[in-house]
Amino acid sequence: MKKTLFAIIIAAAASFTACEEWGPVFTAGYENPSAEKVYTDADMSAYGSMITIADLSKMYKSKTGGSPVKLTSGWIKGQVISSDFSGNIYRTMYIQDETGGIEVKTGRTNMSNEIRRGQWVYVNLNGLTLGMYGGKTGNYGGAGMIQLGLEDQSGEYETAYIDLPLLVDKYIFKGAMGGEVAPVVLTESMLPGKNDTQATNKYIGTYVTLKGLKYGDQVFTLIYLTYNENTKNSSNRIFLSDRTWGITTWALTKERMGSMLEAGTWDSVNVGNSGDYKYGTVGDHRAVKGTNGDTYGDIERNAYSVSHYFKMGSTDIQVRSSGYARFADIEIDPDILAGDVTVDVTGILTMYQGSIQFTLIDLDGVTKN
Amino acid sequence: MIKKIVPAFAALLCSLALFAQEPTGGVKGTVITRGTKEPVQNAKLELFSGAELIGTVLSAEDGSFMIPGLADGMYTLVITSSDYLQNTVNVTVNDGYVKNMFNLSLTRTQSETAIEDASLLEFDLDDSGYNDAPTVLFGSNDVFNEIVSYNFSSVRFKNRGFASEAQDVYLSGVKMNDAMTGYGPFSLWSGLNEATRAKDATTGNEMADVAFSGYNGSTNIFGDATSMRTGRRFSVLTNTAFYRLRLMGSYATGVMDNGWAFAVNASARLGGNDWIKGVYYRSFAYSLAASKVFENSKLHFIFLGTPGRRGAQNGSTQEVYDLVGDNMYNSNWGYQNGVIRNARERRTHEPIAVVRYDFKPSDRFEGSATVLYRFGKNGYTALDWYNAQDPRPDYYRNLPSYFYNADPDWNRNSEAKAAWANEVWTNSAAYPQYTHINWDKLYQVNQNDVDANGQKRAHYVQQERRTDQKDLNFATNVKFKAAESLTLRAGASAKINKTEYYNIVADLLGADYFVNIDNFADRDYASNPTMVQNDLDYYNAHGEPQKVKVGDKYSHDYFAHVQNYEGWLGADFASGNFSAKLAGRLGYSLFWREGVWKKGLFPDNSQGDSDHLGFLTYAGKAMLNYVIGGNMRVYANVGYYEDAPRFNQAFLSPRTRNSVASNLTTSKTFSTDLNWQYSGNGYNVRLTGFYATIKDQTDLMSFYDDLQNAFTNFSMSGIDERHMGVELGFKVPLPVDGFSLKGAASVGEYIYTSTPYMTQTVDNSARIVVDNAPVTYWKSSPLLSYDSNGNIDDHGGAQQKHYVPATPQTAASLGLSWNKNYWFIDADVEYFDRNYLDMNPFYRTDQAVRGPDGIATAEEILYMTAQEKFDPAWLVNFSVGKSWYIKYKYQLGVNLNAKNVLNNTNVKTGGYEQTRLVDNTTSKTRYYRFDPRYFYYTGFNYMINVYFRF
Repeated sequence: MKKTLFAIIIAAAASFTACEEWGPVFTAGYENPSAEKVYTDADMSAYGSMITIADLSKMYKSKTGGSPVKLTSGWIKGQVISSDFSGNIYRTMYIQDETGGIEVKTGRTNMSNEIRRGQWVYVNLNGLTLGMYGGKTGNYGGAGMIQLGLEDQSGEYETAYIDLPLLVDKYIFKGAMGGEVAPVVLTESMLPGKNDTQATNKYIGTYVTLKGLKYGDQVFTLIYLTYNENTKNSSNRIFLSDRTWGITTWALTKERMGSMLEAGTWDSVNVGNSGDYKYGTVGDHRAVKGTNGDTYGDIERNAYSVSHYFKMGSTDIQVRSSGYARFADIEIDPDILAGDVTVDVTGILTMYQGSIQFTLIDLDGVTKN
Repeated sequence: MIKKIVPAFAALLCSLALFAQEPTGGVKGTVITRGTKEPVQNAKLELFSGAELIGTVLSAEDGSFMIPGLADGMYTLVITSSDYLQNTVNVTVNDGYVKNMFNLSLTRTQSETAIEDASLLEFDLDDSGYNDAPTVLFGSNDVFNEIVSYNFSSVRFKNRGFASEAQDVYLSGVKMNDAMTGYGPFSLWSGLNEATRAKDATTGNEMADVAFSGYNGSTNIFGDATSMRTGRRFSVLTNTAFYRLRLMGSYATGVMDNGWAFAVNASARLGGNDWIKGVYYRSFAYSLAASKVFENSKLHFIFLGTPGRRGAQNGSTQEVYDLVGDNMYNSNWGYQNGVIRNARERRTHEPIAVVRYDFKPSDRFEGSATVLYRFGKNGYTALDWYNAQDPRPDYYRNLPSYFYNADPDWNRNSEAKAAWANEVWTNSAAYPQYTHINWDKLYQVNQNDVDANGQKRAHYVQQERRTDQKDLNFATNVKFKAAESLTLRAGASAKINKTEYYNIVADLLGADYFVNIDNFADRDYASNPTMVQNDLDYYNAHGEPQKVKVGDKYSHDYFAHVQNYEGWLGADFASGNFSAKLAGRLGYSLFWREGVWKKGLFPDNSQGDSDHLGFLTYAGKAMLNYVIGGNMRVYANVGYYEDAPRFNQAFLSPRTRNSVASNLTTSKTFSTDLNWQYSGNGYNVRLTGFYATIKDQTDLMSFYDDLQNAFTNFSMSGIDERHMGVELGFKVPLPVDGFSLKGAASVGEYIYTSTPYMTQTVDNSARIVVDNAPVTYWKSSPLLSYDSNGNIDDHGGAQQKHYVPATPQTAASLGLSWNKNYWFIDADVEYFDRNYLDMNPFYRTDQAVRGPDGIATAEEILYMTAQEKFDPAWLVNFSVGKSWYIKYKYQLGVNLNAKNVLNNTNVKTGGYEQTRLVDNTTSKTRYYRFDPRYFYYTGFNYMINVYFRF
């Protein structure tokens, strides 16, 4: 019997020792993982030839969208110029090389924790789609931004977010940390025209500084009565445009939007698209009680992006910020709003329907003169 | 080597010494099993006069004994029997009469094949707000409990459908249910099987010996040195469901000549298991006990604790289980340098110190008083992150269903991404970095945020959520035999509990510090530095939030104060075959929150004491018992209980503020049962019918509400339940020698009977979203189903009841048992059905059902409010054991317990509905649910236990 007992114990013990599960049992601790692989140009040889961002952009043949390109080979190499830490840039990443810049729609939040500003990255193009966002035909339209992403199977956009961790790892490879990217200071003449894309203006999508901007006394923001109805319905839209509408912060957080609404600041604003003002005004909704007794009970409180208009010489520059940005609630200096001083802004130059939309990475990108 | 022991001790008996005067006095009585009143045959009764052994007899088949020829005087009678605790009683013989002791009861010890206590531990419900703790029946004195405790525990059976909080668990007479949650405290002594083997249990409304107890039975663990089986015992156990190896040793001296008794029990449980990766044990346990026996009293000292850590299991959605092809998939772990690391670990060491004084100054009066103190640390680790991606591998955005749904209304149309996600999850072994926690990535992220001083700010940490209790208890109970037919009983208890809730940084994952700010507030109020502070005083003093290191407190720090006081009185009447018990209880519960930190979001309502909430409670119970012909009895219990709400049901968001839920009140329980029992001639049968209503319960949960785009607190009041059913347990001998047939069945209906009201507030602002609105579809929903044409049939307006979840409402076991010559073989079949999924009340509100358009269609009602019923399950278990006595002195035993031998891996044992909604639909008319998360019972598993006593 003793032999049997002994045999059982030995057999049991032998079967345990090989198990990966025993690490924490014996040590109650773990070793730090080894450092992450740093990709080099040599590692990319398996993915075809390197293409510059300018050459890649030229593969997109339209100025205003509608001709996405499915890519089948090659890779680009660029330095990361964006950061999503402030929240003004979200689920996407801008990279630039010496020839231009492009947005890569990673679809992942907080990518800046993994890929820092200044870091070199490689993008495997095989399987991605080159598309445009924000292009618009017609007299009031113009160029949008050429982007890299997946094919959008919904057909709503030309590209989709990469999103899935496996695919992010399949298309994006982290290289070495590079030096700090210095912004290129642009003069008014270097700014893109309404039909410029990255294929024709090397500064679009890159990290730049615009100096001497004067506040333009108007904002643009589009508020929806509810996301529970189609946001394209005219009856569901409230445009705050052509003046400032009391907005003195960089954008509207949910709380700020709610408090401004309830203060009656926008009561005189018409509901509906321009030329379709048949749905009354915002003030008409004041008497509607919400489930918790709030006024304007049928207008949802949400965070909204705001474009503040500035002038660089005679060119309109919309500094557009997200209502989810960490600095959304920060008051813009009254001297700036009053036009008493100008500002220099540093960030990413983007295009939307032929207009320049300037994207701040954070408020460090705003300097009062 | 191996000898069989002669079962009867007759050969060892000596006859009674005769006194010269031929005295006429004596002692007689009947030895019975405590609880079932079953006679105990062959119990050894040793009579001492002082230290001198006067004589020894064995009890007869009907349990009776007689010791004649005793002179007047005081004697000590020691009663021992295998599988029972030793009992010692004092006897006084007067005037030459034969003293009739009537019934002397013995408490049965737990068998070696008892329930594995690891199965009592709760699942990791990931802050879902659900409770999945099973109730635990101990088979010490009841045929139903004995079968159920072993065979039903695997599916987390809850007796009579009651929550585990309703079952009172005592240690040395002190109620040990958690002061905050009421949960059974079994983890406090898990691994101390020998030290806690001796216990006394009651069922249903039955009153415990040491306390008033509740309506769902009670267990009192003795824990003292005199209650542990005398001798040394060592065991080695391996087990494939919980841990690989258990080593356990114990030694108890028994009462020595000097009146002292000492006992020690220690164990180690180590390793993983065959079924659930990441679940492992590194758990130790110790118990030290000393008792001093005086002439009329005993003084006991006990100190026990279970230091250790164990990995926890999480539930996933069926989509994940199906993709990976494994219903035991556990999302809590990942590889770190090739070693499995679990993010969710219990790390506990909560020692308990007990001093108990038992006194029996006369044959008519006895009692006990205990002081018990519980302290130490209780930690539960989890990943925490700031401005970083959700690291949980089965996060919904990582799954195929997030990218594609064939129904266009879901607005998920990326088949390509869904195919890639499918590729990942169906080949999970090839993609461990995506299908398990990617620890390497967490470390890499933590290298990247370097401040001006070159210090790395962590974006991921492993936190340890601490719930450290200081729990001081006093309990006393006395019993006075006022007359032959009347025994009076009384008791009192006090619990003063101060529990500190806080988080510490357990691991910085390669970084240098983490910043103590509120991650949730930071999302909404990032531009307001004071509002995001967890510790506003620190921020005001230093101008920046604290940079916390390993071991530092962060997130929240508050105390929960709970004080419970109660007293009870009882009377037992006995007359012939009839007996009755009557008892009443009066109590007062007081609790409040004390915030240590001033929270940036709520500077005026977070620091210092909250309102003190007091509740007067009372209860009464009665039992009638009638014995028919010695072996049969009929008895009935009835009770009414008002119980105070608990701390965790009262405070809306105790992490952040002092706000209390509205409509807080006592819960009211009426419970009754009628029982028929037969014990004798090898037969043991109990049949019970029970009925109970529980009213005015409250519940609290916190979750992210997609409709508010905010984390919210959800309080629900006025929850009523009705539990009724029958239970049957039997063990009957078969004509073939050594064989018996045994079985148990519990068939009930446990349903919700009220429409509760809910209030929802935003956690960050305390803004009320919904104020005291009905949870319309909670107790029932319209009975709807699709017919063969795809149309909805409303069944004439009938209603579908909603059920109390997480236990099979039909459970049955039938088995054969063979027991001879120290061999035992058991084989049984179990059937479980009518087990329902825990409902999320949010999905049963008008708001969620109606959708954005405010119209509740039949399709929406059916989809959103129906309660899932689990498929019925069959399980087959098998046990074999053998023990040998060696040289009349040593005992060697081996048990093999094989469970689920048919390897059924599709048995759902519990789960919960998620709280989130899919609200960005194409039609903008309705919402969709997130998939529920489930837990499954493991497939075939076995335990081999080898023990040696000497």
